[in-house]
Amino acid sequence: MKWATRAGIHIDRAACAWLIRRFIDPDATFVCVADLAHVPDDATPFDMRGADLGHHHGDCSFETILRRYDLTDDPALQRIAEIIHEADLDDERFDAPEAPGLDVVLRGLSMIGDDEHTMTVTKPVFDGLYEYYRRASLLGREPA
Amino acid sequence: MSEGSLPQQTVASGGAGQWVLLSYRLPREPSTPRITVWRKLKRLGVAQIGDGLIALPADARTREHIDWIAEEIEGFGGTATVWLAQPGSTTQERRLAQSMAEARTTEYQQVMAQAEQARTLTEDERHRALRRLRAELRRIHRRDYFPPPARRAAETAVNALHPTRTPTEENA
Repeated sequence: MKWATRAGIHIDRAACAWLIRRFIDPDATFVCVADLAHVPDDATPFDMRGADLGHHHGDCSFETILRRYDLTDDPALQRIAEIIHEADLDDERFDAPEAPGLDVVLRGLSMIGDDEHTMTVTKPVFDGLYEYYRRASLLGREPA
Repeated sequence: MSEGSLPQQTVASGGAGQWVLLSYRLPREPSTPRITVWRKLKRLGVAQIGDGLIALPADARTREHIDWIAEEIEGFGGTATVWLAQPGSTTQERRLAQSMAEARTTEYQQVMAQAEQARTLTEDERHRALRRLRAELRRIHRRDYFPPPARRAAETAVNALHPTRTPTEENA
């Protein structure tokens, strides 16, 4: 399936792309466009103003996708969602000290490469975070 | 604050920079959405340039925040348009930047006053104050687009609450 998002991706879009490819559509391809009007007909837009998979009721797009695709039962994804929410919206709904650090890493990445580069680099980062919080939820404490 | 004490980056290259503007209207009632939106805008440190018209220096982060707030306003039954604009003169831009820097200065001064009050507390209380004020500083930094001199002073005052960071080290 084809997916589309706004060009100049930051944390929410990078995390959504990872989530889509790993949990929803392993064959996902992504196009980054400037505007909702430029989204190809056969693509599902996310994290764009006016798209269904966007911000709703104070949630970031990552949280919206979790809800739309019934992924809310996974505690590791839930924890990642809290971090993305705080890095993206910074409204202190959650306690996520990881968020400011991750936010800076993503902002820095966007300064040295294009969107494809950011997605390529962040994929193993999110894989690692997922594994960390998966183990944490099994152990009931920090795994290392 | 005199105009001369404004930081260089305000008018970096002589020409006015790019700003993101949000023009919006929300129904008068219910009042909760109006308050929600205003809190979010305040948290972003916007400059209010008119009734239902606010401005921020345009960058990836501010544009994205404003876009989502615009969407939220429409979700509340209001109307919102987002604009990219350049002030007509650097003088106007300078004035705008100065009012924003002054608003931050007030916030930094409040933090500084609290840090100074905390100096006489017990070590435990001082540590709690340190953590609380550092978090407060982070929040202010996020909306500090034209850092005033009080920024550094507030950081110094807060860090001095840590037992290993005396003011003399900080000033060195």
